[in-house]
Amino acid sequence: MAMTMKKLNLISLAVVVALAGCSDDDDKGPIETITVENTLAVGSEQCVNGGTETVSGEDTNRNGELDSAEITETTVACNDPATSLTAQQLAPLTSNDWFKAAKVKMAASEDSIAAVAKESGKAKNVILFVGDGMGISTVTAARIMAGQLEGKLGEEHQLSFEAMPFSGFAKTYNVDAQTPDSAGTMTAMASGVKTDAGVIGVDEDIERGNCATVAGNELVTATELAEIAGKSTGIVSTARITHATPAATYAKSADRNWEDVSDMPEAAVAAGCEDIASQLVNFEANLEARYAGLDVDGLEVVLGGGRRHFLPKDAAFNSADAVSSVEGDRTDGRDLTAEWKAKYPAGQYVMDQASFNAVNADTTERLFGLFNESHMQYEADRANDIAGEPSLSEMTAKAIDVLDNNDKGFFLTVEAGRIDHAHHAGNAYNALSDTVELSKAVQVALDKTSIEDTLIIVTADHSHVFTIAGYPKRGNPILGKVVPVGSDEPSLAADNMPYTTVGYTNGGGFRDLGDETDADAGYNFAPVTGRVDLTDVDTTTPGFHQEAVVPLSSETHAAEDVGVYAVGPGAHLVTGTNEQSLIFHVMDYAADLVKQADAKLAQ
Amino acid sequence: MKAAILIASLLSPLAVAGQCDTNTGYAKANYTVTTDAVANKQHTENAFTLWRTPHQVAKQNPQFIELWQQLRNQQMRPIRYFQHAQRGIEYQPSEVQGEQDWSAKYQLVSNALLEKMTLKNSAGEGCELTEHYQYQQAETKIELTWLANQQLVKEMRISSPSYSRTVALTMVEHNKDAVTAQFAKWDNFQTTDYADIGDNESDPFLAKMINLGFVEHGATGFYDAQGNQLQSEHQHHH
Repeated sequence: MAMTMKKLNLISLAVVVALAGCSDDDDKGPIETITVENTLAVGSEQCVNGGTETVSGEDTNRNGELDSAEITETTVACNDPATSLTAQQLAPLTSNDWFKAAKVKMAASEDSIAAVAKESGKAKNVILFVGDGMGISTVTAARIMAGQLEGKLGEEHQLSFEAMPFSGFAKTYNVDAQTPDSAGTMTAMASGVKTDAGVIGVDEDIERGNCATVAGNELVTATELAEIAGKSTGIVSTARITHATPAATYAKSADRNWEDVSDMPEAAVAAGCEDIASQLVNFEANLEARYAGLDVDGLEVVLGGGRRHFLPKDAAFNSADAVSSVEGDRTDGRDLTAEWKAKYPAGQYVMDQASFNAVNADTTERLFGLFNESHMQYEADRANDIAGEPSLSEMTAKAIDVLDNNDKGFFLTVEAGRIDHAHHAGNAYNALSDTVELSKAVQVALDKTSIEDTLIIVTADHSHVFTIAGYPKRGNPILGKVVPVGSDEPSLAADNMPYTTVGYTNGGGFRDLGDETDADAGYNFAPVTGRVDLTDVDTTTPGFHQEAVVPLSSETHAAEDVGVYAVGPGAHLVTGTNEQSLIFHVMDYAADLVKQADAKLAQ
Repeated sequence: MKAAILIASLLSPLAVAGQCDTNTGYAKANYTVTTDAVANKQHTENAFTLWRTPHQVAKQNPQFIELWQQLRNQQMRPIRYFQHAQRGIEYQPSEVQGEQDWSAKYQLVSNALLEKMTLKNSAGEGCELTEHYQYQQAETKIELTWLANQQLVKEMRISSPSYSRTVALTMVEHNKDAVTAQFAKWDNFQTTDYADIGDNESDPFLAKMINLGFVEHGATGFYDAQGNQLQSEHQHHH
């Protein structure tokens, strides 16, 4: 549309129109009528979009100008509203780096939307990353920490999964709980059905802890569907591999704590309920037993902690990595690692960093790694492991390298299980460090796969009562005390003491354990009530535990939504605020899991 | 003489036992703890039992048992058992320096403190070799009667103008089978990683741990490497 406004500056443009006029004094000449047009600037009082003011009158004093007293008529013609801006007007925006970056991002987003495979079944591979307890505030703080570790101010940094083109929110509540636990939330993601807190792979008709209510309420998981469809399947976690989140991919249990037979009531064992570790080793047989004529080959990759649930309660079975006098917990005498080796003689069982490193992924058909008696170490604490254990990113790389040997593709679940534990311990350093490690693991997955045929989803099962508070200046250390804009001194609270940016609404509260890199060491101390003077405390050390308002021995989950980030075929469906169970359906849509499994069963 | 004792005490319990026919690496030792506070004239008496094998030490109070396991990498892994509930909470091995003094757990008095103390006299021989040590720091005085070849405190008294505490051995047995059986009994209690407590609010026992929190210690009789009395083993490190 043509521009109607030609000038920006208020310029008085006099157009003298000489008109023949009457003369009453021949000596002085005739009195002329003068008309003057003034350009009105944009934003002027008369015309908000600018315009022209025309004034006219007789030059009675014959000075050749139309003085204000001589004006007899004024007309104003306003411009039509502006419909676009000039390059000059836009210059303050277009030359701005924030503006330019957003324009680039806009273009990239348009490309992503156009390029994403929207038809179902286009994903050959699916990888689901779950940061256990990785709420929005954890992602934000980890982003800043990662940036600051790279020498940036931090806030502008992006974790690997934050660069994914599609994202949304998941409502995490359990069917029976406003604030959820990992068992119910991961069941929702793995099976597409929200259920009660504390139960694994079963729907809400279950009664927690009642073995008899399991039968008939079992849910099929995406891992099982992928297995039936002929894809390779894998589970990786830094928690015990029998812990709630990984368990929900392969097990059905009335209680998340039935990790081995010794954890179960005798009545449940007698009634035929199978412990979670046993279900992992019997995954193939159990799946085949549920569907007539089905022949599957079982999980190709299982990497995590929790060796104690697989070994008999007998010191003779202790590994070189044992931290208990008797490492195994099983009271039924079964050595599940031996059973796994017997089932899969071509597979490799590993239990430390050296044996893990020695695995040739290209030639390995199957890999089972149990690297710790209980949970694996926090990433910042790995150096203190007795036998050594791999990082989450190393396990992710190895898992993909083994799984991608199958032409039909693979389904992999990766859990950063210890973000949750560090938060429970009230130790932000480890929660954020493990989140940064998750970001590295996601980058590994992005590097090893193609967005053409691999759907990658990153999310959390639930949040924690972890807050980023106060008014710290830009670039303030995320684990530091709040130092306000324009100052080098910490802000003081009403009690005249400094306070940290990150903190917890509840939990054990303040501990100053210096270089201690194990968040759980904080449990050796009673909850601290009230405020602590942090003036002389370095709050950025690994062993600092943030203050908490409500004293509890263990910090709690939080109920707000979590982020869901996605890239690859079907990723465009990750948008808006949805029930957490939607994630299963996105994965199913992308990889046609149900359709492919149905077809296999029909054969 | 003192140097020889210190060298011996730094060796394994079995090596020390060579000077005493009894296998002192396995012990059940009953202690009383008597505390007097001058200001409020408060007098308290408590008791605990020290159980130990070469790589496990337990301090049994009436309600709970604190147990430390010495790992291959010399870290110590604490477990707290609750007698009534027959449940246990497993803690992570600590890497904090100062928390790692196995001798302070194994024999109640750390080798570092013994080294700082002055040997006043000794009597007896073999298992009954008894040594008397003293240590004074400012107004605090520590007096120790030490069964050197059993690596056991016979009596320890810490006193200041405002406060005194005496830890006294009332009975000791070195019955390997009985000690081993007791540790096995505790090992059969159902245990939970402390890291998992936060995810188990529906378990009444663990919910109590979350909401009521930490069970504070009674009189301990434990002393750190600097000879400071520990009001609780769980003090902060600054």
